[in-house]
Amino acid sequence: MRHLFSYVLTRLLLAIPMVFILLTLVFVVLRIMPGDPVSAMLGAHAPEKVIEQKREELGLNKPIFAQYLDYLGQIARLDLGDSMIMKQHVSEPILDKLPATLELTFFGLLVSLGVGIPLGAAAARRRRSGRDFGIRLYANVVYCIPVFWLGLLLQLVFAVLLRWFPVSGRTSPRVTASAFSWSGFYVVDTLRVGNLAAFGDVMWHVILPAVTLGVVLSGIFVRLTRANMLDVLKSDYILAARARGVPERRVVFNHGLRNALIPIVTMLGLQFSLLLAGAILTETTFSWPGMGRLLLERIYLRDYPVIQGVIIVYALLVSAISLLVDLLYAAIDPRVKY
Amino acid sequence: MKRLFTLLIVLGLAFSVSAAWAQDTLVYGTTDKMSDIDPANAYDFHTWEIFYNTMDPLIGYVPGTSTLTPALATSWKANADSSEFTFTLRKGVKFTDGTPLTADVVKWTIDRNAALGGDPSWLITDFVKEVQVVDPLTVKFVLKNPVAFFPQIVVNPPYYPLNPNAWPKDKWLHDMSELPGQELTGTGAYKITSFTRDEEIVFEANSSYWGKEPNIRKIILRYFADATTMRLALENGEVDLVYKSLNPSDISDLSKNPKFVVAKLPGPFIRYICFETSESVFKDKKLRQAIAALVNRPDFAQKVFLGQVSPLYSMIPTGMQYQLNTFKTTFGDGNVAAAEKILKGLGYSASNPFQFDMWYSPSHYGDTEANLAEVLKAEIEKTPLVKVNLKSAEWATYKQQWKNKQMPLFLLGWYPDYVDPDDYTAAFAGTDGSKGNGINFSDPAWDKLFSQEQSTTNEATRKGLFETVQKWWVDQVPTVPLFQGYLILVSKPNVTGIKIGAPLIFLYKELAFKK
Repeated sequence: MRHLFSYVLTRLLLAIPMVFILLTLVFVVLRIMPGDPVSAMLGAHAPEKVIEQKREELGLNKPIFAQYLDYLGQIARLDLGDSMIMKQHVSEPILDKLPATLELTFFGLLVSLGVGIPLGAAAARRRRSGRDFGIRLYANVVYCIPVFWLGLLLQLVFAVLLRWFPVSGRTSPRVTASAFSWSGFYVVDTLRVGNLAAFGDVMWHVILPAVTLGVVLSGIFVRLTRANMLDVLKSDYILAARARGVPERRVVFNHGLRNALIPIVTMLGLQFSLLLAGAILTETTFSWPGMGRLLLERIYLRDYPVIQGVIIVYALLVSAISLLVDLLYAAIDPRVKY
Repeated sequence: MKRLFTLLIVLGLAFSVSAAWAQDTLVYGTTDKMSDIDPANAYDFHTWEIFYNTMDPLIGYVPGTSTLTPALATSWKANADSSEFTFTLRKGVKFTDGTPLTADVVKWTIDRNAALGGDPSWLITDFVKEVQVVDPLTVKFVLKNPVAFFPQIVVNPPYYPLNPNAWPKDKWLHDMSELPGQELTGTGAYKITSFTRDEEIVFEANSSYWGKEPNIRKIILRYFADATTMRLALENGEVDLVYKSLNPSDISDLSKNPKFVVAKLPGPFIRYICFETSESVFKDKKLRQAIAALVNRPDFAQKVFLGQVSPLYSMIPTGMQYQLNTFKTTFGDGNVAAAEKILKGLGYSASNPFQFDMWYSPSHYGDTEANLAEVLKAEIEKTPLVKVNLKSAEWATYKQQWKNKQMPLFLLGWYPDYVDPDDYTAAFAGTDGSKGNGINFSDPAWDKLFSQEQSTTNEATRKGLFETVQKWWVDQVPTVPLFQGYLILVSKPNVTGIKIGAPLIFLYKELAFKK
């Protein structure tokens, strides 16, 4: 237990320089890019005096190093600062949009695992068969498909032509989110208030974006599961199970797949960052009001504090998930000790 | 299997909620963005549209026209030299919390919005010296200088009376959560009852509205990240109408679909070429004239916008008073011979072409901007005597570059602040306005002329002055007008009452469902 505690502490401490380096890079890149929030926010009529006033008010007239030190001081106090464009604290839009992104990422991950693992196992079970070839082809194709293109295609087929799903948003206009929104996770919130119709509407809206995001990443899980399964299926204990006359289906899915899943759990942490990156494009395609859209919009507006804040949150999320997955790995594999 | 069945039932419930949607709610889609929910700082057409429907002006426009009509003020009059305007307020108008509308409220609002110094505050501070309360229902605006078109300026949201019991005097608001009861309530036909930034805004009819009750009780404004998704949502029946902005190809497709009505509304939005006239290569007006001659408006209107824009031959839009097509009569379109004559006179040849950078901003004016720049380059390079280097920068950078005089030729667009030819001319060729737009054109004779047209209400005098300005424009060419945009609104056929006139004011209370 003591070792586990020191492992967690070390990992948490290692996250600090990572965030610091990332923050410094983002800070410098944003400031050397031409254009600033003042020129983005003020209209063409703004007199020089007003522009100068605004620059002073936002601290943009100070040397870049002084701005950097101010920002580091702020971060050390765990304060992300105020938006330069909107009159709001950086945490406000982040807390507002983060649940939408996490909800989409969660369902995307479910689709990705739900499709990728069974297909990978099925391919490994009949190696070099037509089925194996077909599944591998699927994995390669979906991994190459741009996520926004797949999103548009699914919208066109399942929303416009078949009318099975909505094109965009988290809820229908007729479902007033403010009536149930509490944590921002609409699936949880609708169940909390027992509003089944709203829950159905939320699920109905999340399906297409989650499938878009999940299908693209399912290709990786197909290949991973297949490769691990092929290794596992060569193991002695599988041979022993077969020799004992255990049905092939049970051998593959109960004995083989369980053990093949261990390395896949490790990969989950890495895939999470890919899911977050994919969510940025998926959110734009489906007008999903999440962190990805927030980041893109604020980049156009050069809203430095919000951009930095979003990137810090992304970095912390990826670190936290990686840590969690590593801890989970120890829990499911008795050979791993911290 | 049982779980799947349960899920299907729940999804079915969601569908049945959709089907039960009564026809007293209209869903409206847009790709626009809302800024601060405060008339003291918001300075964009979309946020103003929200104010048009939740607050009322002292005087407004007859829906769909540019004709002024009484609103919260029943009458108004100017003194002899248009330096003072007196408004008589409507009796019995109240804000939703019962606060009565008085002259003190109007004065409080104007003083607040001017003092906060937000982006549109110049619409007050450039014109108004003082607001005087004559009596509880009479308010007088004393101006810094005579301004004949002051009533058109009063129509704008910074002049809309705000409830002093709801709005703070010392700061502008970012969103509704900062208002009492978290509701944006004014004197307008609708009040906002739910607001989720970048997702949706719910408007419900204001039961204490002083005017005619709106036809549709509830309007839901839905925000889309891009035009393609919005088009698909319309086709999927998720929205009843979409406005600002669809892609030209989407408009073209939808106009062929009998399930939708495409309304093409005359808009006062114009696009033009700007020259940096003080330091760049275009300091020489002859070079500006050559470019004006080479531009071929019908060509790009068709190639880039599929005929959905109208060629523009004056900075004053077509249909507006005093407009003359001076660029058509002087240069025409794609007049290579005239341009070559000028360029050869300046010593340019095919082996020594006139070279310059042409700048555009790739996303600020929509997805068509890069195509527009490419087609313009091709039009200008119809003569071997000119070579164009095409360059682009995102909007924040673009604005900084025009302030730093780094772009010799660049593309801009204009939505008017007030519907008067003055806003289309003085803003580009008056010394101050021209500097703000990166053109840096300055001529005392022009400034004198603008000052004259601003201070007179005499129609004949103003007509003469604006005709002179338009004739001077083709000689000096501080800008080259390109096209006038139409406003495109696509709706289901059962939506009626869409009236958006030249002032770009979209009043939801006029909308109705066909019975």
